[in-house]
Amino acid sequence: MKSKFLAFLGSAVLTAGVANAGGYQANLQGQKQIGMGHAGTGLALDQSSIFFNPGALAHLRQNGIQLGVSALNSKTRYREPSPGFAETESDNPIGTPFQVYASYGPSESPVRFGIGVYTPYGSSVNWGKSWQGRFGLNELTLQAVYIQPTVSYRITDKLGVGGGLVLAVGSVNLQRSIPLTAANGQEAGIELDGGAFGVGFNAGVYFEATEKLSFGLTYRSKVDMKVDEGDVTFTLPTSPLIASQFKADKFNATLPLPANITLGIGFKPVDGLTIAADVQRVEWSAYKALTFEFNDNVRGSQRVPGSTSYESVSPREYEDSYIFRLGAQYALSDIMTLRAGGYYDQSPVQDGYLTPETPDSDSRGVSVGLTLKLTESVDLDASFLYVNKKERTDDASKSGGVAGTFKSVAYIPGVGVNYKF
Amino acid sequence: MNMKNFFYKIGAAAFLSSSILLAGCDPEFEDDRTLSAGSLDLTKYVAVGNSLTAGYQDNGLSLEGQLNSYPNILANQFSYVGGGEFTQPLFSLEQRNGSGYLRLTGFTSTGSPITSTVTTQLAVRGMGADGKTPLLTKYTGGINNYGVPGIRVSDIKIQGYGLNNPQGFNPFFERIQPDNSFQTYLERVSTSAPTFFSLWLGNNDVLGYATAGAFASFITPTADFEANYTEMVNALAANNTEGIVATIPDVRAVPFFTTVGPTFKASLPAAVPAVVVLTKNTPTRKVVPKSDIKDANGGTTLFTLTAAPYLPLVGTATGKYWRDLARSQSPSNPNVALVQYLTAFQIDTTKMFGLSGENPFPSALVLDADEQAEIATATTAFNNIIKAQAASKNLAVFDAYAFFNGIQSGFMLNGVAYSPAFITGNLFSLDGVHPTQRGYAIIANEMIRAINAKYGSTIPTVDVTQFRAVLIP
Repeated sequence: MKSKFLAFLGSAVLTAGVANAGGYQANLQGQKQIGMGHAGTGLALDQSSIFFNPGALAHLRQNGIQLGVSALNSKTRYREPSPGFAETESDNPIGTPFQVYASYGPSESPVRFGIGVYTPYGSSVNWGKSWQGRFGLNELTLQAVYIQPTVSYRITDKLGVGGGLVLAVGSVNLQRSIPLTAANGQEAGIELDGGAFGVGFNAGVYFEATEKLSFGLTYRSKVDMKVDEGDVTFTLPTSPLIASQFKADKFNATLPLPANITLGIGFKPVDGLTIAADVQRVEWSAYKALTFEFNDNVRGSQRVPGSTSYESVSPREYEDSYIFRLGAQYALSDIMTLRAGGYYDQSPVQDGYLTPETPDSDSRGVSVGLTLKLTESVDLDASFLYVNKKERTDDASKSGGVAGTFKSVAYIPGVGVNYKF
Repeated sequence: MNMKNFFYKIGAAAFLSSSILLAGCDPEFEDDRTLSAGSLDLTKYVAVGNSLTAGYQDNGLSLEGQLNSYPNILANQFSYVGGGEFTQPLFSLEQRNGSGYLRLTGFTSTGSPITSTVTTQLAVRGMGADGKTPLLTKYTGGINNYGVPGIRVSDIKIQGYGLNNPQGFNPFFERIQPDNSFQTYLERVSTSAPTFFSLWLGNNDVLGYATAGAFASFITPTADFEANYTEMVNALAANNTEGIVATIPDVRAVPFFTTVGPTFKASLPAAVPAVVVLTKNTPTRKVVPKSDIKDANGGTTLFTLTAAPYLPLVGTATGKYWRDLARSQSPSNPNVALVQYLTAFQIDTTKMFGLSGENPFPSALVLDADEQAEIATATTAFNNIIKAQAASKNLAVFDAYAFFNGIQSGFMLNGVAYSPAFITGNLFSLDGVHPTQRGYAIIANEMIRAINAKYGSTIPTVDVTQFRAVLIP
């Protein structure tokens, strides 16, 4: 089993794709839940409870391992402010957010141990080097992989608690043009590239009030992803005067991956039908500014008082936001379960703060999914999620972003396999 | 259900998914932007003006500058709403450097720009009959862009202004005129029969005097300006033709006048309380206290960009400026000219340059308070005439005076900082007077906004980031 697990990790491309949720969050942590509008905090569906509600894990009857991956296919279109009409479409690579969950515990024990590896945050957007917002952004890739060892305890048949430590590893790569044109016509640019690391936790309570009604409450803490000594690379005209204005070669940065509080309800009105509803609060207000600290001068950056370093600060001032999710699954037969759902996700980005990194707006997601029971121990999940973000026009006057109108859609098919033992 | 059915269903689901993917994967905007010329007829756009209209920059006119002139940008945007062909008197690819121009080759150890003049692939066909004006390769085709660098409102009725003759002439007008033609600029433009026109004239009626430090050239008398400008507007707006006119920017706000003064002021030793300068084209001396040299903290007196080579000589015993002047103005007999200058302006080159009454700093490199007042008064008078003419013919106005005064503290656009600062401000080319291609594109967009506001059209603006600012070595 172990070797298969490692093989899977090795083959997966560790990219989360353009965030399908607000900001740079990517809510794609379980193929069954994706099929139900990503609701499931109030359910004990499968090993993905390690993410959705560690308190529910101990209520699963079987041990198992689950592997899943989505193909995040997103596009954003930009149009310059009226009366201009130039348009650009981002050429984003297909993201592959994935999830691996495994749990183990003696069958009669109230304790279950688990481990989850998943990608709840990430963004990959490529606008290219010729669009008019290129001095804001050419290309951004953010990756964060959470590794979460978990323990869950079934206090009673109705009540479970659980929690896990989150170790987050990731990376950031940001490229933008600098408005300096060399004699040969080439425009200058900067590339920031670095690995990142952070720590947090995930805790949950699961309560099965009756056979038909269950509740879940989870708290996933903020994780500050810290980049330490990332690389700064400039492409510049050759003049020494210019070089003297862009001397940094290392940078530090911290990107907050915000805390989430989710309340979920599971309801089974008739045999075979399960309805799930979640309300998720994302504490995006943790993202105040995008700050890069450089080890030397970069034109446009400010000297940090009392230090030899320089910093550039771009205000972001995100707001806390809510996501409302609703989904249902119906067991059509012993071997086939069908799902459908949707969600409404409020944008954390305030007016005046829109950026081409995360050209965010309120978004609507609709999804379908199914599970096929291949054998007693093997299930196959499939999901399909369509995300449509509202068209948004912003003057970007407060973020130093790019004024104009943005519109994003995403198509996200996904598959998963479950092995129970 | 058997396995065969599973795979059938998976296949069906996959097919459905992929067909949705292929059907409408691209994000689309809710409303298509409507583009319209409104009531305008843009089938024949004609541009009338001076160097700004021709696409002059970096102290010269080149093919690249012509292709990125604001009239060409406007014509291209007009083409989205029914605009017709727009022909410019382009230099050929082989002679693409046209009149020659400045390029930035490096920086001094103190960060001052070093420029050099491009002298290859010029469109120069010989020397003019006046012995000092190079003749440019003739252009004989049709023309929509009548921009003639150097032309003043006071020039538009001069016969032989485009005739190669010993009294002097305008080589840019000469190049588009038939041989031996005495036709005036006004006559030439009057035959153009536009359906829409732009008119940006008048800058040189104050600028020539200003950039010469009020030493040479002259300010056009207001009555002459009004008479000629009115005739030009009447010619272009005959048959109620619609168009746009532009006002004259405050010439004191361009980098040509604002770049070197502050550096010079800061470089003067504390022991030097003042500099001595000549004023206008007279031997009269003026003492300019150091505090009166304009910089961010105040002061009035401006030093021209052309003063840069001579400011480091201040305090030394030198006559370099006068020797250079004699050589450029009288290439055949510089020594005689030098003696004439030294006599006329009572110069003793053995005394301290710029710091002594006997060897004052040349008037041509300084714009003092009195000279500036003359220019400001004339600019206001001319702009009032331009706006009155526009109002009488129901024309759109690009108020360049208001625009350039409004951006003195800079602005941000597409994440790029713009300001009137030399080179780093992105708006002005290496001559410190004419815009960069980026600057011209920004001007074109301002004109489009003014046209849209006046005539109810929705002509699209252009993406200004596709145009370059100063090239950095």
